[in-house]
Amino acid sequence: MSFFRRLDLGRAILTAFVVAFFVFMTLPIGIVVVASFTDASFVAFPISGWSLRWFRRIFEYQPYLDSIAVSLQIAFGATALSCLIGIPAAIALARSPSAWASAVMTYLLSPLSMPMIVIGFAALFFLSRVGVGVSFTALLIAHTTVCLPYIVRTVAATYRGTARSYEEAAALLGANPLQVFWHVILPLIRPGIVAGSLFSFLVSFDNLPISYFFGQPGTLTLPVVMLSYMEHQFDPSIAALSTLQLLLAIVGLVIVDRLYGIDKMTMGD
Amino acid sequence: MKTSTFPTIPRRLLLTLPAVLFLLAFFILPLVDNGLRSIVQADGNGITFARYVQLLTDQFYLTSIAQTIALSAAVTVICVLIGYPVAYYLVRHAGRWSGLIIFLLIAPLLTSIIMRTYGWQVLFARRGFINTLLVQDLGLLDTPLRVLDTPGLVVAAFVHVLVPFMVLSIAAVLQGIDRRLEESAQLLGAGRLRTFFEVTLPLSIDGIGTGSILVFMVANGSFVTLVLLGGGLKTLPLLIFQQFNTTRDFGMASTMSTVLLVVALVCLFLQLRLVRRGGEA
Amino acid sequence: MTDFTRRGLLQTGGLLGAAAFANLPLTAAAQAGEITVTALGGIWEEAVKKAFVEPFERKTGAKANVLLGSPPQWLSQVEANPKNPPIDVIIVTPDLAINAAKMDLVDTFTVEKVPNLADIPAEFTNALSGKGTVFDYGVAGITYNKKTVKDPPKSFKDFVDRTAAGEWTASLPGISYAVTPIMLMWAMARALGGSVDNIDPFFDAMKKMRKNVIFWGGPNDFFNHLSSGEADIGIYFDGRTWAHVDAGADWIDFINPSEGGSINALAVQKPKNAKDLAWEYINVMLSPESQLKFAEMLSYPVTNKKVQYPPHLAKRFTPWQEAHFPPYEEIAKVRAQWVDRWNREVGG
Repeated sequence: MSFFRRLDLGRAILTAFVVAFFVFMTLPIGIVVVASFTDASFVAFPISGWSLRWFRRIFEYQPYLDSIAVSLQIAFGATALSCLIGIPAAIALARSPSAWASAVMTYLLSPLSMPMIVIGFAALFFLSRVGVGVSFTALLIAHTTVCLPYIVRTVAATYRGTARSYEEAAALLGANPLQVFWHVILPLIRPGIVAGSLFSFLVSFDNLPISYFFGQPGTLTLPVVMLSYMEHQFDPSIAALSTLQLLLAIVGLVIVDRLYGIDKMTMGD
Repeated sequence: MKTSTFPTIPRRLLLTLPAVLFLLAFFILPLVDNGLRSIVQADGNGITFARYVQLLTDQFYLTSIAQTIALSAAVTVICVLIGYPVAYYLVRHAGRWSGLIIFLLIAPLLTSIIMRTYGWQVLFARRGFINTLLVQDLGLLDTPLRVLDTPGLVVAAFVHVLVPFMVLSIAAVLQGIDRRLEESAQLLGAGRLRTFFEVTLPLSIDGIGTGSILVFMVANGSFVTLVLLGGGLKTLPLLIFQQFNTTRDFGMASTMSTVLLVVALVCLFLQLRLVRRGGEA
Repeated sequence: MTDFTRRGLLQTGGLLGAAAFANLPLTAAAQAGEITVTALGGIWEEAVKKAFVEPFERKTGAKANVLLGSPPQWLSQVEANPKNPPIDVIIVTPDLAINAAKMDLVDTFTVEKVPNLADIPAEFTNALSGKGTVFDYGVAGITYNKKTVKDPPKSFKDFVDRTAAGEWTASLPGISYAVTPIMLMWAMARALGGSVDNIDPFFDAMKKMRKNVIFWGGPNDFFNHLSSGEADIGIYFDGRTWAHVDAGADWIDFINPSEGGSINALAVQKPKNAKDLAWEYINVMLSPESQLKFAEMLSYPVTNKKVQYPPHLAKRFTPWQEAHFPPYEEIAKVRAQWVDRWNREVGG
């Protein structure tokens, strides 16, 4: 009797659903990961034998390594820049019920809806003519336009969900707006900032259609190098790169967890 | 009360200004500059609106616009339906598994789209993993399922990369909800389901809104998945890509982009109003 | 008039946002004695370095930086910066090359500037109105899985009939792939009695084949279709087929259809206002030694008449006279109509 009472049917169904969901999420990627360990010279599944040769290839092919560094810089840079200008805007707009605020919010989110190839193409011609040209700066600016909406939206949503009373209490106790922001608002919206930054980072890191237009010997990003590589050959190094990115993500998440605690990002305290 | 409300109106303007100006300078102006291509005549002299007339009167292009919206809407709805339970689980039950769950969520975004597509092909090809299993090993089917090159697989592939945005957006809001509200509802005798539908869900509507907007907008502007997986859908972003890649007709590309942007902005504005209305209810 | 409007807007933009960044140096390679040249990634890049860059640097003492990417990107960058192009030598497909020539973005090739041009068949330079020339090429024909197609079709006609009959599933280039109007539509129409002005034979053939056809979005996709068993045969490039064979996929093979496949070439061009040193580099690219080295490394035939291939390559290479050089200028005029018709009639 007591056993059945403790068996939580709702939760069991939920757990089963989540497991099924992750099977769906993992299957196509699992195939890529397995394919990256092949000993064959072409991508095929099932693989003929196991080998690490395509991971060695990554480290032997200098443009892969150089472009990973550029991609990381751009992704961090664009995310930081987006936070800098996006978080204040999100806080300012989040709680306003006016149509005016909705309109500005729509405007700030509009880059999401444009195919990135259009953004990249338009930005190339525009930035070239105003003197920024094809450069690291231009690449950073163009990436920031598409990263910004993710920060603005997630921060605004989180901020709207927090109770106004904390801020009011702090202000009544004599805190100035900056102190209120730093000690009260910032901790409250942290999950939104983390989620938005994560989106922003991933969107920038994975971006091809914008980076494509700003390639220069020193500013090639990883997706551009991969595309160029695959114009002529299709070997499992591309799969190995995906596996390596997953590995880097695990390392990144473990570091975040150690420094900060992943559960803080997804759960209330 | 009045003095303590943060931020006040002028400060609000000041805080919004950097982001507004940044997008004006580096998104709107380039697009307007590029948009002029859509009204310049092919020979470079004079102005014409012929491209817009063609786009908005031709049944083929109207169908394409409808297809674009329908695809984005379908993907968004599916993402809400399967994303919400996962977000709920992540925030309320995952505990020490949350790191793993987040990793699995962002994994598709870290895998090159070409390789992801390859994964789908291996799974669903005529002589692929699943068909071999169904036809030869289990004998459940006589002929292999045709999955590749169908709209269904395109939707599945979109959901696969976009559902993480939905889950994390909802989770970010869910965890901000004061759980005492739920506990009070239960103490007052509401069942768990009722508590969920009358307390938790309304409070998390902003997360659903954020996720829906991100998913809808990104789906609305994507073409690479369609290029690689086919499916016979001719959405506006795909046609724009064709103009860049195959016909190199930048005037037409610019016309289509403008129409796509207007369609998207209208959808976005409506969604934002809807979310606000829902959030206030 | 419109240009004026655009300038006005640009100035506003400059004032609003970009003023802070104005006048940054355009490229690092702006110093004398250094040029930026282009290559596709991977083996292709390695071949460019060995066959072109090394001899160029030895000969001139200058430096050539290799920019990876793909032709539409390079051309867009040049188009956006016509006064100070960030690239000195671009590699482009002929349709883009003609486009660039029309927009007056590139310089005219002469034997005075590029002595080795004399050994390139004149057809290849004339096709680009003298503003560049073709330096290597491949042929698009029929590639098939030897294990599942025992008796491969020898002609486009045979291919169409047997695909329509359901003998196999064929994987054809989809309309979002840039070369499809040439390698598939024009080549097939031509083989079936049509021409640039009469594309109907292609669409008729497509209608018959449609239910047994899938489309590839990019070349690697085609290989995946074959290796995963989704398709058995298709329209593809010879050079890529050989690259797969050399990589160990010995189960595929290539046939140049008896009507002749289409030539898919790569051209070299020099943007206007690019450094004069670029001519030296182009001359090296077209020299018999560099061309042979390039062909050996990439398994693609080259255009210099003096090049003598070793036997194993000569056996594979289709002489360009046995395939057809597409009339790019005429195709460019009707390409948008073809694509539009495909979108409406074929779907995929």
